[in-house]
Amino acid sequence: MNHCVPDFHEMEEADLIPTPSSFSTLKKTTTGEEDIMELLWQNGQVVVQSQNQRPPNRSGSRSGSGEVVIPLEREIRSSAEEQQHLFIQEDEMASWLLDDSSFDRDFYADLLYSAPPPLPEIRPPPIPPPVARPDNPPRVQNFVHFSRLPIRPRPPARESSTVVESNETPAPAPESRVSHSGPPDSATVRTGGTSAAAGTCDLTAASSPGSSPTSFSGDTHQPQHKLAAAPEDRKRKVREADDNECQSEDIEFEAAEGKKQGCGSASTKRSRAAEVHNLSERRRRDRINEKMRALQELIPRCNKSDKASMLDEAIEYLKSLQLQVQMMSMSCGMVPMMYPVGVQQYMPAAMGLGMGMDMGMSRPMVPYPPMMAGSAMPNPAAAAAHMGPRFPLPPFHMQPVPVPDPSALQPTNRADHVSNSTAIPQNQNQNQNQPRFQNFPDPYQQYLGFHPTQLPIPQNQGVVQHDANKPSTSKDIGNPHNQQTG
Amino acid sequence: MSSRRQRSRQSGASRITDDQIADLVSKLQQLIPEIRSRRSQKASASKVLQETCKYIRNLHQEVDDLSHRLSGLLQSTDADSAQAAIIRSLLM
Repeated sequence: MNHCVPDFHEMEEADLIPTPSSFSTLKKTTTGEEDIMELLWQNGQVVVQSQNQRPPNRSGSRSGSGEVVIPLEREIRSSAEEQQHLFIQEDEMASWLLDDSSFDRDFYADLLYSAPPPLPEIRPPPIPPPVARPDNPPRVQNFVHFSRLPIRPRPPARESSTVVESNETPAPAPESRVSHSGPPDSATVRTGGTSAAAGTCDLTAASSPGSSPTSFSGDTHQPQHKLAAAPEDRKRKVREADDNECQSEDIEFEAAEGKKQGCGSASTKRSRAAEVHNLSERRRRDRINEKMRALQELIPRCNKSDKASMLDEAIEYLKSLQLQVQMMSMSCGMVPMMYPVGVQQYMPAAMGLGMGMDMGMSRPMVPYPPMMAGSAMPNPAAAAAHMGPRFPLPPFHMQPVPVPDPSALQPTNRADHVSNSTAIPQNQNQNQNQPRFQNFPDPYQQYLGFHPTQLPIPQNQGVVQHDANKPSTSKDIGNPHNQQTG
Repeated sequence: MSSRRQRSRQSGASRITDDQIADLVSKLQQLIPEIRSRRSQKASASKVLQETCKYIRNLHQEVDDLSHRLSGLLQSTDADSAQAAIIRSLLM
């Protein structure tokens, strides 16, 4: 604290007209340490001054401001990297900013106006001293502030903004001075700044803090514009980027900090953004590919390598599976009903179902759709017919009967299959079933006969030639029986 | 996108485009009750694929359960009965 005072005095003597008085009051100061911002009470505002800022000389003002800027910049930049950090920093920065502003004010006061000042004027976050430092291109100075402002106003900015709000009255002054914007502007700026801060936070959170001031295109008015156009800032990302290039670089040069060289430059930001985008895109694609591989494993006999055909197969398989489950559940529900109801009535349909299922759903179970599941049948039937050969129902382990291959379902073998479908393939190990089936097929042969004709077989697999085989089926049916019996 | 370009380069003749894939994914989406019940056009490809895998596994499980049940029913019924035949055919 004590050491601060002398600084102030120096400043007063050197340049500032209005400020000296402000400096006189030291509300509180942080321990004087290099690069440590001291909280000084200036003209009713808590100003944070870095120790480095002692010399408020004009020439030194730049440096001083630079110094102030530097630590602040550092803080800002580092904090900008992470919002949380930023929040903390921002709060602290706010006071510091006040300090800066006060400094600026002082400088500005010299340059711009003789009138006093604006002491309270600025709220740290919001309004970056629009007045350019006398030495440096005003822009730089402004940007320094601006850079801070935007950063600060970010999320935590609300707090600072609120604080600022309370002090609003004084704040406008400096702005008006610098950017020639009246208090209302500053007020708006302030509010805008806070909102902008939030917006900028979003925008620039990822990017370096330098970007925030980007919108300040070097004009003294910019900062205010920026603040006022807080919501527009978001939209001005590009512009900010451009601005950042020139301004942030300037600022950085000023600060001589290599903290995040790129943070200030738009190109770095853009490249980083592009990188991020590419990375996320790559991750997304990886996820999709991984899932496609998993899907491929689930699909039986899927030897497709490209995505589209694999998805095609997946869709077909899924439909066939759905149909299969539907049929099985239907039959489960139907079986208990077989006796109570006229068996014959249901049998054909059941047979149709069975046949369809057995033949790898090459034949749609159409014969008696209304009797069975009804609406469900036509669709699944069509789907089954469509997909039949592709996905013969998986042979359940319950019955050690190999699923008839589609190739096996040739017209010549149809009869066998027809008879077999109703009764498990006789050539299987289920010898005990054969005799039973011998009786079985008889009553239903006629239905089987009907079966082929009734089944609308859109398939062109050639597996099922129902119509043509109808007459032959009966004959063939007889043959297997003979064989079985024999 | 580079992937699109690559795909077109690789499959010059087949011209598998992203639109195609998107179309297939949407078809898949329609089949899956979970996603279909929700608002459509909202599921990402990865989500659809994931749901598809899950759904297929569920269906496999269901088929297994049903086949178990059917075989049980088969044993409980007369071997000669028509329904036995049906069940067998189903189980095949």
